[in-house]
Amino acid sequence: MFDRCNVGLWIGFLGAGFLLLGPLYAATTTIKIAGSTTLLPILSEAAKQYRVTHPDLSLTVSGGGSGMGVANIERGTIDIGMASRPLSEREAERLGASIDVIPVARDAVAIAVSKAVYKSGVTQLSLAQIAAIYRGEIRNWRELGGLDAKILVIDKEASRGTRHVFATVVLGSARARAPGATIITGSNNEEQSVISRSDQAIGMISNAWLNDRVRAIAVGEGDMAVLPTIENVALGRYMIKRDLNILVPKGSGDEVKGFVAFLRSEQGQAIVETVGFHSVR
Amino acid sequence: MTIVLVLGFLLYSSWPLIQQQGIAFIIGDEWYPFESLYGMLPALVGTVWAVVLALLIALPCGVAAAIFCAELLPAHWRGSMRFSMELMAGVPSVVYGLLGMWVLLPLLESQLELLTGRTLLAAGLLLALMILPTIMVLSEDAIRAVRQSQREAAKNLGIGWDATLWRVLLPQAWPGIRVATLLATGRAMGETVAVMLVVGSIDRIPDPFYNFLQPAQTLTSRIGREMAEASIGSLHWAALLFCGLLLAAIAMGLSLLTQRKGAAA
Repeated sequence: MFDRCNVGLWIGFLGAGFLLLGPLYAATTTIKIAGSTTLLPILSEAAKQYRVTHPDLSLTVSGGGSGMGVANIERGTIDIGMASRPLSEREAERLGASIDVIPVARDAVAIAVSKAVYKSGVTQLSLAQIAAIYRGEIRNWRELGGLDAKILVIDKEASRGTRHVFATVVLGSARARAPGATIITGSNNEEQSVISRSDQAIGMISNAWLNDRVRAIAVGEGDMAVLPTIENVALGRYMIKRDLNILVPKGSGDEVKGFVAFLRSEQGQAIVETVGFHSVR
Repeated sequence: MTIVLVLGFLLYSSWPLIQQQGIAFIIGDEWYPFESLYGMLPALVGTVWAVVLALLIALPCGVAAAIFCAELLPAHWRGSMRFSMELMAGVPSVVYGLLGMWVLLPLLESQLELLTGRTLLAAGLLLALMILPTIMVLSEDAIRAVRQSQREAAKNLGIGWDATLWRVLLPQAWPGIRVATLLATGRAMGETVAVMLVVGSIDRIPDPFYNFLQPAQTLTSRIGREMAEASIGSLHWAALLFCGLLLAAIAMGLSLLTQRKGAAA
């Protein structure tokens, strides 16, 4: 049926078809968003809803961590960066003049433990105790009133926004070392899976990733200990908190500006609260 | 030519680091990019351990399987054995990584009563699985390449099967097995994703250094985790490229070594 000539024709047609498709794709504008995995659920949901009213726009949202969001905005490979921490001094020096840092949500960094640890009675810790765990001075849950089990101390990659905030409040400086750490994880998802599958883990995780097997403990001394609820963050009672920011180059196109305005609008902030964070309005 | 370009690029890119800190950081044991400390030793030790463990497991298994397939298995089974090995070799590494995360880690944790399954042993086991097909297929080829007349001569001399194996087959197949081992070592050393998911990624030399039941870091897993965050041209970036340079240098050193030996034999 297909002689050689025919096959050639088909290939020609296919090729021409692709060539015609090319410009069609190019006609839709793409907004590339990447960075903090904490902001990922907000931006993904917002992108989905925004596309309903702007079908000609294509938005891609991916993770990688705050450090990556900042690095890629600097390289110019993305249109909007996500960072769950403020810019560091050095970053601010390099990027301050060319980039707007816009908060779109507030979040608490929860001190999360495995369900078994919580059930055994460790339901609150002071900042000093948490610091002692991460410095390697406390290595067994028994010392904190729990079971006789070693502590699996989970630290995060140094450039992660969650670690930045945690280390600032708990260890005293954003880049403090944590010699007590057992392993290092990256994204919130990775950390969540480690905590939920262990019986003796402690870690730092965004409030929105807590579940039955990954439980937040109250932080503070005695009766003053508070859980990382939205109310406690709003009232300033919970200490380990931060703004979730997006990084937008100055002089961005109207498409990007429109999306940023949407994020800060009532509808955008409603998404923020549905996903489990606190609105900035 | 390509190799020269690759090495040249790696050296050129990591030069700022060497210029600023000399070369002593290779044996430094502290990796804190924020404090401009780029000690390579923890990841080097981790890499060596992971590869050695993988070889310790995969080499005996692979060669034994190769002997079985080449000498004992009926011919009509051989094809399907080989096919399944080649399938195994073709599985993407991230699939092995996920398997490792969801099957191997819980198993290690419960069986060895470890704090976490993310250990050098997990990386070694996973790598062993990944290099097994390479070792087996190439070793089998090497064993089958031994001439039939050699086997018949051994038989005629009244030599038993095990003596034939140790004295005739394996010595003659040895160059092929060595090449297989080398290729497998290269693969194990360069593997990134699967190792990254199970090794724990902590920049610390196990304590004591032979304790492979502790989390550690490998050169590849470090590059995989940190490359996206390092801004191009920074010292951190240079240090990560130096990790790449180290890997490339070790791999080349190994292959040169076997080349020499091969020529001498």
